[in-house]
This record gives sequence, structure tokens and C-alpha cells, in this order.
Amino acid sequence: MRIPALFAAIVALSACSGDAPPDETSADAGVLNVYSARHYDSDRLLYAAFEEETGIRVRVRETSAPQLLETMKAEGERSPADLVIASDAGALYRFQEAGLTQDSSSERLNEVIPERFRDPDGHWYGLAKRIRLIAYDPERVSPDQVDEYTDLADPALEGEVCIRSGSNIYNLSLMGELIERAGAEAASSWADAVVSNFARAPQGGDTAQIEAVAAGECSVALVNHYYWVRVATNASSDRRAIAEATALSFPSFGDAGTHVNVTGAAVAANAPNKEAAIAFIEFLTTPEGQRFLTMETKEFPLVEGVPLPEGLETLPAFEESDLQLTVLGARQSEAQSVFLNAGWD
Amino acid sequence: MLAAFRPGWLRAPPTLNDLPAIAAATLIGAPVLAACLGGLLFGGGMAWDQVVETRLWFYLSSTLGVLLLCAALVLAAAVPAAWLVSAFDFPGRPILDWALVVPLAAPGYVIAYAYADLLGVAGPFQSAIRDVTGLAARDFWFPDVYSVPGCAFVLAACLYPYVYLSARAAFTTQSVCALEAARSLGAGPTRAFWQVALPGARPAIAAGLSLALMEAAADYGAADFLGVPTLTVGLVRTWASFGDAAAAARLSVFLIAIALAFQWLERRGRGQGGVQASSIRWRAQERVRLRGLTAIGASLFCLTVLATGFLVPVARLVWIAIEQRASVAPLSDALWNSVLLAGMGAAFAFVLAVIIALGARHRKIGARLGQIAASAGYSVPGAVLAVGGLMVLSILPLSLTGGTAIALLVWIYASRFTAAGAGPMEAALMRAPASLGHAARSLGAGPLRQAWSVDRPIALSGAAIGALILFVETLKELPATLMLRPFNWDTLAVRAHAYASDERLAAAAAPSLLITLAGLGPILILCRQLARARPGGQ
Repeated sequence: MRIPALFAAIVALSACSGDAPPDETSADAGVLNVYSARHYDSDRLLYAAFEEETGIRVRVRETSAPQLLETMKAEGERSPADLVIASDAGALYRFQEAGLTQDSSSERLNEVIPERFRDPDGHWYGLAKRIRLIAYDPERVSPDQVDEYTDLADPALEGEVCIRSGSNIYNLSLMGELIERAGAEAASSWADAVVSNFARAPQGGDTAQIEAVAAGECSVALVNHYYWVRVATNASSDRRAIAEATALSFPSFGDAGTHVNVTGAAVAANAPNKEAAIAFIEFLTTPEGQRFLTMETKEFPLVEGVPLPEGLETLPAFEESDLQLTVLGARQSEAQSVFLNAGWD
Repeated sequence: MLAAFRPGWLRAPPTLNDLPAIAAATLIGAPVLAACLGGLLFGGGMAWDQVVETRLWFYLSSTLGVLLLCAALVLAAAVPAAWLVSAFDFPGRPILDWALVVPLAAPGYVIAYAYADLLGVAGPFQSAIRDVTGLAARDFWFPDVYSVPGCAFVLAACLYPYVYLSARAAFTTQSVCALEAARSLGAGPTRAFWQVALPGARPAIAAGLSLALMEAAADYGAADFLGVPTLTVGLVRTWASFGDAAAAARLSVFLIAIALAFQWLERRGRGQGGVQASSIRWRAQERVRLRGLTAIGASLFCLTVLATGFLVPVARLVWIAIEQRASVAPLSDALWNSVLLAGMGAAFAFVLAVIIALGARHRKIGARLGQIAASAGYSVPGAVLAVGGLMVLSILPLSLTGGTAIALLVWIYASRFTAAGAGPMEAALMRAPASLGHAARSLGAGPLRQAWSVDRPIALSGAAIGALILFVETLKELPATLMLRPFNWDTLAVRAHAYASDERLAAAAAPSLLITLAGLGPILILCRQLARARPGGQ
């Protein structure tokens, strides 16, 4: 749930009210306070493995990224947060933009994480990859009709497109890349054309779009890969049938590959235990850390040589876009206004 | 829920006896006031103009749409059900009598998850239609649950028991003499209902409806999940996406205004519905035994209401949980946290509710303020109160960790729910004639003595009901818990919401069912209490 930012007001209030000493923040080196926007049971295994390896106790606050952001703003210098974990480079950018992160460069991190998946100043590091692709109905749409993101604007797909809200961070980040590659004007007319292709007003999450394609409510949908994989590997055969009724396309931006985004981590600006936070990010880049990070989410491990989580091996090879992901954050507000102007609610 | 407005309290200046009630009013009202003041102090943010220009109309119209539709559905389901159960005998009646209250155990967002799945394009209904007819989803119309009517339906399905409870109590405690007089004058059951029972029960129905609609107006979880831009959803989005505190606080003023409007309507309803029982001789009402088709019709009607509000959605979640082999083992911590927090929150709110209900009995200014504060808190989303509480906290200044966070959360629960606990107590007290209190005073009993010897026994049944409602409401609370819980203090509501917003309905099913189960026990006790509290009840 995205909740409050009236918090911002509290920051102003607390600034003039004299700060009390932090009463339960982890001044001791034995505790790591994690603010995570993820909600996976497998993350508990991850924390337990880190605790076992380092003896550092992990305490977690899980909520949506916007809420974590507002909480940290409100807590200001008294924030107990050491580390933020959030999905989407655009979300990590918001923390950086608000001054809530700090340089946490380490040799190990800079070595194993490719440059385009991290902030050049070390304010955040990508740790697992997610791909935004097109799920389509193979009986109504041919693969070459959906091999580029711009195809979604094709008048031939009028009344065939299902996509979630334009305020969703996944769409904002995709739009960021489109603006970067094609320019704001072209991106704007693309958005207008896609809106006129909508089969229905944006509703539900990515899974709901896949279901709509399978049910024949529309024939193309834009979704993150792991939602499809989770349906395809579901315990129920009814659910698996939904994925089986759809095909996947890994669209490109012209000759640049498929839109890639990351789940990543950032060390909090006022981290009481910065060292443990960096140690934890480094742990996430080990084969064990990568495995726990991706086993339930079905994201792609970002570190080379780490085996894929179950279910991903069936996906075909594809070409990744080479975009430096800091662009997604920098283009975010532009992307939001493109969607607003297009009436893509 | 609230005592009739009596300007009399204006004439009596506050005394020492008012202090507890004034303190309670302050505690309850502070978060609301802090949030409002925050909006005013920090001026109109940039986002406010944008909200007014582009969103306000959507927020207002969807909120009004949801509330109106929800009110209509709730009345159409709850009042006939209550009347059938009170006045007639038909197959299943003894079970339906209490079972119809059970949907109170399931939070709105849980019912929303279930119906989104059931009625969605991949759900069993639409799939079956496609399988049978061979049509594609776009070839036939199907009600869209992601809509204003869908949201109203979901909220009505779980909020109707508020009206059922109050109407049921009113129908049962109405003087049988009035109904018998009507019958002896030749009125059939239908006419007796419209001309005698319904007018007499109107104040109680209005009170129940205002509770249900305040809950509906403050709902965040269901409306957000179904993508309906109500004021509450808009307010939370204004915070999160614009980061604009002032604009969000201004939106909350609209919600408070809606709440005050409900209060006014409710008081008006009470004022006009002043059907005074002239007789205080109570006798168990003879229920008319229904036969044949009418009996089946009555059973079916009540069963449909119950199935819609509880059986069908819960069965769907159970099905999902089984099909997905969901495990409850990882949720044991969350279950314990939920019960602990709800227990503490309910206990604190209960104390405040007692103070207010007793004060209201004597029409004290402090209690009147407490009632206003409680209604405002009850109608405002937990998120608003949490932010208000945080503002107070930061002035003190304390940080949101450990015990402080729990204390704040308990305080916010009380601010949010005291009205729900005070209502049944006030209702119980109001049923007794005021002359009892006058008699006590003329016999020289002071206010404390009167509270203990006269009011306490009368209020006891209402108090038990109030306490149970407080516990269940707190157990289901989502937004404030989400914001204020300290480290490692996830509740079931928090986990269910996290999974559902990750599009993992299967994972959300287990915690959703556990909340419902945890609430079910208190609700069943509540049913028994209600049956006992009734005149002629065993």
C-alpha cells in the first residue's frame, strides 16, 4: 500500500523540535535494519543465511517502496534504516533523489555488477533482472506483429491491447527508455496511439493482463516476465492453462534489445550500520544470495555464472537493451506527464 | 450510535466529572486534528491545484457512488433478513439468526480479493460461460468487479451485518404489544412491518447504516485493490505519488465532512423516529411459522445474503489455499502479533468507549465532544490518523521504534474505533427509560454510584458487544498498522495485503483466512451475547 507522505510535514516539525537520541536504532554493529519493498517468504531464508554467515542480526520492515520512502523522509537523521531493497531502478532513483542514499561503492560490487545496472556514484546496485515483454494470443496475433514495443501503437491492434495503469513504475520505466531512445514527441504519440488501442481501461496488475489475453478479452498485453513464469509454473493446472494459452514476445526498441530493469539495494544516507549494509549487498551477489533472491520471484540472477531459478530455463534466449538504468529515474517525471497527457490513467 | 442532540449540555458548564470524558475526547480527536492542522499550517501544496482540477470530481463522484449503492444494497439485504428472522419461523432460522452476523469477521479487502478472483476474467464464472457457450471474453457482457458498483457490492457484502444487528435488536425489543395491536386491528404481517415495525426500528437502522457507511467511506484496502478512486484512495495516492502533505490533509477534511453528515442524518432519523414505547412490559414475540413456498423463500433469501457476504468468498479462498498448497506455518508470528495488537488496541478503546457512553448518558459536554471526536476518527481512514499521530509524536519528540511505535499504534486504533465500541453501550443505555437515572439521583446517588449501580448492569450486554466489535475491527485494520508497526511486527492484515498487491492471491489466501478465523471466535461469542441480551432470550 502506498501510504503517507504527510510525513514530509513531520520532517519539518521534527526539524524544529530538537532531535531525541535514537532509542532503538542499531547503533551496535550486530544489527542490520532492512527496509524492503519485497514480500517473499524466500527472503527470510536469505536473511537467515546472512545471519548465519556473519552473526549480524537482520531486522526487516516490509512495505511498498513509496511508503518506505515517506517513512525514511519522516524519520530523517533518526532513521534506523541501514539498507533499502526495492524493485525497479525507477524506484531506487526516488530514494536517491530524496537524498536518502549514500555512496556504498565496494570493489567487489563494482566488479561483479555491470556498470549499466548500478548508479555510477554507488548510490544503488542492481541485483536481479526483470524483463518487460509482450504476452499475446498466438491465434489472433502473429509474432512479427509484436516484435517491437512500438507495435503496440499499430492501428491493426485497435481494441486488442491490455496494459495496467500509467502510474505504475514498470510502465514509467519503460516509457523512460522509450523517451530516451525515440524522443519525447514520438513517445507521446506512441502513448496516444496505444491508448486508442486499449481493449479496456487500465485495471489490475500484470497477471490480470495475462488472464485477459488467455480469456480473449484482448490479444496483447505488456507484462513483466516473472508474472508469466509464475502462472506457467503454478501448482494448479487451471492456472498453467492460462499461460499455455498465450505466447511471449521479447520486443525491442528498433535495433536495441528488450527493456531490462532490476531489483536493487541502496545503503541509507543515515545508516547506523553502513558496513553491515554493504556486507549484505555483497552477500546478495554471492551464488547463495542470488539463489535466495530469485528462487521465488523468478527474476534473472544478475551475476554471471549463477544458475537460473526453476521455470526460467524454458524462456528463449533474447537480446537485452544496453541502456544505463540511471536514465529510467532521470526520465521518470517526463514519462509520468506523457501518460497523463495521453489519458493513460 | 450517538445520543440525541440535546442543547441542554450547553447550559451546564463542564465540571470535574467531565474531566475523564474530556480527556478521552482529546485522546481520540488529537490525531484527526493534527492531520487537519497539518494541512492548514503547511498551506496548499502544488498538487492541490492539480487534484482539484483533474481528480477531485472523480474522487467525490466515486465515493458518493460507492456509498449510495452500498447503502441501498445493505438495506435491501439486512432489513428484510432481520425482519424475517425476528418475526417468522422457517427452516434454518435458528442458525441463520446468528450466522448472518458472521461476515463481520472478514475484512473488506479479503472479500475484495475473493470476488476479484471469482468474478474476474479468469475466474470460475466467466470461464464456465466461455466453456459452455464457446464465446470469447469480449463477446459477452459480464459485471465488472473493478468498478464503482463492484466495490459497493463487495463492501455491502461484508458491512451489512451492522444494519442486520441493529435492526434485529430493534425488531426484537419492540414492544410486542404494538405489533399485536396492529394485528388485532387486522394488519397482516406485511402491513405490520411497514406501518409498525419499520418506523419503530428506523432509528436503529439509521444508526447501523451510518456505522456501515462510515466504514465504507474509510475503506482503503478493497477500493484500492479494485482500482476505484474513492476519496480515501485518492488521499493516499496524493501522499504517495505527489508527496503532498497539505493536499492529502485537505482531502481528509472532505471525509470528515461526510462523517459529520452521517451523524447529522442519524440524529435526524432518531429525532423523527421518536416512536416511544408506552409500555415497558416485555414479552417474547411469538414468531409466525411460515409454510410451503414462503418458508423456502425466507430461507433462501437469508441464505443468499449469508452466502454472498461470507460463504462463497471464503470458500473460494479456502479452495485457492488448498489448490496452491498454502502453508500457514510461516504466519504463526503474524497471527500472534495480530491478536496481541488487537487485544491491546481493543482494551484501550474499550476504556475510552465506556467513559464516553456513560458520559453521554448524562449528556455531559465532555462526552458530547468525545462522541464527535470518535465519529470523526471512525470515519477517517487509518492512514490519516496515523499521520496525525506521527505529527504529535514528532513534536514530543520520539522516534517510531519499539514500544513507542506500539503505543502509538494502540492509540491510533482507539482513535479509529472507539465509536464502534461506544455505540452498542450507548444503545443499551438508551433503551432504559431516563426515569431510572432520575430515581437514582433523587435517592441521593452520586454520579459514580449511579454509574456503578444503575448504568453498569444496563450497559453490560452492550459493553460485551462493544468489546468484541472493537477486537475484531482492530484485528482487521490495515493502513495504520502498515505504517506504524515496529520492526518484525507484521500482522496478518499486513501480510495479506503485501501478497495481494504483489498479485499473489494464492499466497494472500492463507493470511486472509486466518484473520477471518481469528475474528470468527469473537463474532460467535457476540452472537450468543446478543441472543442473551434480548428480552426473552435464554
